[in-house]
Amino acid sequence: MKILALVGTNAKFSYNRILLRYMKKHFRQMADIEIQEIDKLPAFSVDTPLSEQTEVWKLKQKVKTADGIIFSTPEYDHGIPAALKSTVEWLSYHTNVLKHKPTMVVGVSYGRQASARSQVQMRQILMSPDCDTNLLPGNEVLIGNASHSFSKDGRLVNDQMRDNLEECFTHFVEYIQVFEKVNKEGLDMSVKQPTISEAYINFPTGRLTLKEVQQIFSTIPFELDLIDSTDHFAWYSDKPNREHVRNVASLGETVQECHPPKAVPVVMKIINSFRNGEQDVVTRPLWMNGHRSLIQYYALRDVNGHYLGTIEFTGSVEYILNLFENGAWSTDGNTGASKHEDSADNQVAEESVDASTGASESNDNDDTTTPSTTVTAPVSTTETESTDATTGASDSGSVDANDEEADATTGASEN
Amino acid sequence: MKIAAIAGSNANHSYNRMLLEFMARHFSDDDIDVIDIRQVPMFNENYKGKIPEVVADIDRRVSSADAVIIASPEYNHSITSALKSVVEWLSYEVHPLEDKPVMIIGASTHEQGSSRSQVQLRDILISPGVNAYIFQNEEFFMSDAANIIDKDGNITNEMTISFLEKCVREFKHYAKAINQMVAEKKEADK
Repeated sequence: MKILALVGTNAKFSYNRILLRYMKKHFRQMADIEIQEIDKLPAFSVDTPLSEQTEVWKLKQKVKTADGIIFSTPEYDHGIPAALKSTVEWLSYHTNVLKHKPTMVVGVSYGRQASARSQVQMRQILMSPDCDTNLLPGNEVLIGNASHSFSKDGRLVNDQMRDNLEECFTHFVEYIQVFEKVNKEGLDMSVKQPTISEAYINFPTGRLTLKEVQQIFSTIPFELDLIDSTDHFAWYSDKPNREHVRNVASLGETVQECHPPKAVPVVMKIINSFRNGEQDVVTRPLWMNGHRSLIQYYALRDVNGHYLGTIEFTGSVEYILNLFENGAWSTDGNTGASKHEDSADNQVAEESVDASTGASESNDNDDTTTPSTTVTAPVSTTETESTDATTGASDSGSVDANDEEADATTGASEN
Repeated sequence: MKIAAIAGSNANHSYNRMLLEFMARHFSDDDIDVIDIRQVPMFNENYKGKIPEVVADIDRRVSSADAVIIASPEYNHSITSALKSVVEWLSYEVHPLEDKPVMIIGASTHEQGSSRSQVQLRDILISPGVNAYIFQNEEFFMSDAANIIDKDGNITNEMTISFLEKCVREFKHYAKAINQMVAEKKEADK
């Protein structure tokens, strides 16, 4: 179980940080608690440019994948610190990462009141419609007289308080499990099974069961992601060892939400150019996870040309390039691909490789599906901006191919 | 009367700031100084012993005023972090709100008109670190601000204006009484 624990202040020294460190260690067999600082976040403002929201985006990713969140709050003037309020504002503005997230409030103070009033305020905020968290009721962790309740090496030495903390945290873990069970039984989609598995689709070119469709996407040696026509992340193909690691928690998010802020302008430019019909494909060859890869964005359109969404295609081309470099397409016919042709005719060899669609039939630059044309197609910024049009694996504003390697590995990158 | 009016939002477009700017124009017999908090950095107690210049400026303007009006928006049933940050700055190394008569008002585009954040702000301002005197005879909540304040920042509803005038009138009586009481208290404590 993964729990994110927010230190509710930007102060260098805080007993609330000490409490969370103690909980992390004390409860290590019950849960994996990650302590999250909030001092790097910009002060919330609706006018903050997206380019300055990288830290906010990173925090949202962590909140999204956590099973539960703990807020540890001090008390400033009968209320929670402005820095903590600002964090909650970020987590509830144009996002629903907190929605239905199990949350728990704890707090420490020097005085006897033990941050009781700010905890009440924190609970009210977490229950407001913009946050809409599944707040753990009751279970108050009020640690007063901090400098005596903790030892110098950061252990909670007041027995009564420790017993209460253990009881409350156990309830929180049980509370999280209840919601996980509910989600598993009904609400969440299964990653491994498509729903209505007995159904099939009649394509003009043949019939596939849903199970076959699912397994085709898991088998083909590349991955696909789809942003739908309303700019929401709608689907990704399920495949082991994906180049871009995706999480079902990101499904349904807007393009703005599921990308690192710096990538958003470039991604939107590509998507809008597809929507407006200005172009149909953007190609980016780059290094990913230590090998050469190809990313291509395609405009998905219906037969009438109406925009349905954007597909991101990602595949390692290392295998193909190795074949090429080892002479697989050379004219001496020493590989399987051209053996049966026994011919010096390039055109024929090429056709035999493209067994299923004949898309590469033409070697001519007018054909937009050939690599030689599409490499020139990208909008001008793609050379310098890291873009991952579907969910945003990378975060740096400018990359060359080698930088990308470190960056594009996982959706969470940057760490 | 010299009144410092703090606009509790750091958004470029804020009905609360527009409301205070309207009041500064409308109540021309009074000297209403509208304080814009957009440049105030996030409060941080690591600053021990010093405060940013923009906070020092607000400190001077609030200290020299006879009374304070704060216009509070509402985010998540609560006051904005931007306003909370200002209150924290003004209750740390400097305490200009101490013993100061304060009126809380608010505008919102929704029905509640910031009522919940006003209740919370009242609780914050009477905490021992702040120690302000809060006017409580009238409550001014402006709902549906987008339709009541026009593009030029004027209030278009006559009833709203006359109620606002009543609130300010009552508040000035309250502020005079408080200031007199505080002066007497300080005299007696000498």
